Amino acid sequence: MTRQSFQDMALRVALDRAIARTSDEHDKRAQEYASRLTATKVDKTQVRGLESLACTTDKVSDITDWLKLRVGRDSGRERWAKDGVGRDLLSGLDGLRNDAQKIVAALSKTYSLDTDQERQVHLRLCREFLKHLAAHFEYLKAEHKQ
Amino acid sequence: MSDLEYRPLRKQKIAAWSDYWQSEAARFADSYRDLLPRRITNAQLYGLGNVVRSARRYADIEKFVKHQAEKAGRAGRLDVQGYWNDLRSVLSKLRGEAQALLKTTPLPVEADSKQVLDALHRELAGLYVQHLVAHSLYWTPDEEEHKRRER
Repeated sequence: MTRQSFQDMALRVALDRAIARTSDEHDKRAQEYASRLTATKVDKTQVRGLESLACTTDKVSDITDWLKLRVGRDSGRERWAKDGVGRDLLSGLDGLRNDAQKIVAALSKTYSLDTDQERQVHLRLCREFLKHLAAHFEYLKAEHKQ
Repeated sequence: MSDLEYRPLRKQKIAAWSDYWQSEAARFADSYRDLLPRRITNAQLYGLGNVVRSARRYADIEKFVKHQAEKAGRAGRLDVQGYWNDLRSVLSKLRGEAQALLKTTPLPVEADSKQVLDALHRELAGLYVQHLVAHSLYWTPDEEEHKRRER
């Protein structure tokens, strides 16, 4: 194994670890959003749709545009616009940028990083957050039904 | 550069560009907040989104925006005409952004650079409009609610 590929692999492992740690830290907050969403008319399909969009896109802006459109279209304020849940979620996702900055700043002391790294870490943190949110949402929905 | 190397690099550059330019498009939408949603309607914004998604050349987008400006001008709606003219100018300047992006991603040897530039310009305009439409619609219900409370 060359020195470069060893460095790449070490960076990948360090990134995965840092992202996993931050993801765990935000689990509780994702649960809170899920709980707020269960008090709206947002259904499983929409939350799953958001999660799968996050998993497949390569842009954070695709996720936030999706949410903005759902908030904007909810003129009855029964779904994503109810009690500001969609807006707060947007702010929450935007706030993950700070976590991405911290992760990248810490890793840049040891590794040489791509200029796009911070954005990519932000995207991965959004994915993680929405994964938690979707899981909690489904769980809470099922609990409410019982 | 081979096509195999070029495609993922292009995709990543465009994604980074799009995420960066989202705030620029939001600023544009916010600067015309007073025209939304009555003077510039949601239907017009959806129409713009549809045209941009289906356009085959950048000229198709330009034609639509120009037409909207002319229509508003004929109806004496100068503020709306200003909106479309400004949007046309912003979208047109994205050609420079497309050129800059192309400089950082060397093309595969067999590619026609003029065609590639136009396709990239169209793609960037599409992403800008996606952000613009989302942000424009985003604030509308609150504005409506605010007005309702004032009444």
